[in-house]
Amino acid sequence: MSTQTRTRSATRTPRKGRSAEVTRLMPTWLIAVLTTLLCVLVLVPVAYIFLASLNSDVGVARGEFWPSQFSLESYTKIWRSVGLGKGIINSLVVSGAVAVVSALIAIGTAYVLVRFSFPGRLTMLRGLLGLQSIPGTLMLLPVFVLFASIGAWVGITIIGTLWGLFIAYLTFALPFSTWVMVTYLRGLPRELEEAARIDGASNMGILFRIIVPLSWPGIVVSGIFAFLLGWNDVLFASIFTKPNTATAAIVLQVFSASQEGGAIPVYSQMMAAALVCAAPVVILYFIFQRYLVGGLTAGGVK
Amino acid sequence: MTSEIAGNTLRDEATRPAGGPPAPQNKKRKGVTERDRPLWLLAPGGLLIAVIILIPLVLALYMSLIDLDQYTLRKWLTTPFIGVENFVEALTKTDLLRSIWISVSFAVVSTIVTVPLGVAAAVVTQNPYRGRAIVRAVFLIPYVLPSFVVATVWRTMLQPDGIVNSVLHNVGIDPGLWLNGPMSYWTLILVEIWAAWPFIYLLALAGLQSVDHEVHEAAAIDGALWWRKLREVIFPYLKGPVSLAFLLGTLNHINNFTLPFVLFGAPAPADVNVLPILVYVTSFQSFRFGLSAAMAVVSLILIAIPLFIYLRAVKLDVSDDGGKK
Repeated sequence: MSTQTRTRSATRTPRKGRSAEVTRLMPTWLIAVLTTLLCVLVLVPVAYIFLASLNSDVGVARGEFWPSQFSLESYTKIWRSVGLGKGIINSLVVSGAVAVVSALIAIGTAYVLVRFSFPGRLTMLRGLLGLQSIPGTLMLLPVFVLFASIGAWVGITIIGTLWGLFIAYLTFALPFSTWVMVTYLRGLPRELEEAARIDGASNMGILFRIIVPLSWPGIVVSGIFAFLLGWNDVLFASIFTKPNTATAAIVLQVFSASQEGGAIPVYSQMMAAALVCAAPVVILYFIFQRYLVGGLTAGGVK
Repeated sequence: MTSEIAGNTLRDEATRPAGGPPAPQNKKRKGVTERDRPLWLLAPGGLLIAVIILIPLVLALYMSLIDLDQYTLRKWLTTPFIGVENFVEALTKTDLLRSIWISVSFAVVSTIVTVPLGVAAAVVTQNPYRGRAIVRAVFLIPYVLPSFVVATVWRTMLQPDGIVNSVLHNVGIDPGLWLNGPMSYWTLILVEIWAAWPFIYLLALAGLQSVDHEVHEAAAIDGALWWRKLREVIFPYLKGPVSLAFLLGTLNHINNFTLPFVLFGAPAPADVNVLPILVYVTSFQSFRFGLSAAMAVVSLILIAIPLFIYLRAVKLDVSDDGGKK
């Protein structure tokens, strides 16, 4: 049953619930109480983060919730004090490349997995799910050793460059991206492809002329999740980067860790930097919210 | 134009045998596709996964059996094989067992709290009302924020001179240190709960949407009270999604490296020395690579149990051909 649910929400059928009275699950007062509680739980910290980022470092250190003076100073300071610009560019480059390439590979792989039968197909599908749950901490060391060894044999540097990160994120994004595309392609009608095949279209013709144009929502979801994997990662970036290739996450983490024991804590700048790091992700989510919420449940993985 | 016409005739042809036995249709389709299957499309993804995931997995197993440290790392192929010594050391002389206990209890407590929160959130946003879209967007905020951002802002707020302590101080409570000492364990759970409940909410929401309108109508005709309807009619529908949420939530908590790492730093205080942090520190701060690989393998075994249940429960193949159901 759960697979059905997920397939359906992935292809995004309109919600039901025509008559509100019949589908109501709780009395209105209880809905109001619970909704308020949950909103407070979320919004109070979020509001404080915003207010603190608009405060001054001194004001935040004094323990003000509501700033005595609003200013955008923290947002201008962080580019120099944190060095956030370089980190954000590195993150955008790596995660953007991962998003595009993984979506490309995922749709090709998913097309074969969904439309053709061959030995090992079910094993691959099971593998797509299983590989998503392999802990990164298990992979970190062997991938590190592998990259270092390959680099030494071939005579190139992989550790410390954005290429190493790119390859690692791309690979770790593939199982989930492919799974998203698999669930999406299953929902597509077969008739168009068969018609094209009768007309003499090749497999690649069908893939690029029919499947890809029909699957944009799926492609966007699988690309965005790959982007998020790269953007949100700390584990691999903490080992695979040098200061000049550090991603936004690492820059922020290092900045935050270096504040401990400092004379004047720069909490306002910290909040501003955190919000700037979150901004691309939040913007992506709210632009593509309709597609993403279905896609999230498709693989059931963050 | 021609393809459109062909499409219509073919659709007729394709829908016709659907009512009858599916076997002949299957055979025919196989005949079409078996001639030139573009199996090479599997190559790029397959190659990457083989080189960057499967080979390292084998490598991890191998490294857990050799005496690998910062001196032998460069010539790891010739490093002496020491069998299960790393495992013995990991289990008897390190914090591994304690870390497993911390990780598992942290994951289970977090899941137990987030599941009711998520289900409640799904239930209260089930019915449309003015402003529901905003409430749903608010519910998604903790989910959307990257873990490292969540951890950074909470770390800032929970500093000894941070806002949480100054607010609590004003109402006469002195909570002490959040990020150190025994309290840190509960801090980790609190922040994890704050960040993770919307994931359960999303899964529960998908479950609620699978409840047919007729079911609601039937319950309404029976005149069931809201809590009886919820418990006896609606919750059974949520059993599947919530079990999934329970499983995946627990797995995610156990595997979560970012949150404890950014909240507490590495090495972490003893009370939040979760498995991922222990493995990470053993590798990249103590440089006991072989020992760390052994710990990672143990943690994989731990994760394999819920993962196995999950893989058995998921129906892999809902397409109408090629699958052996």
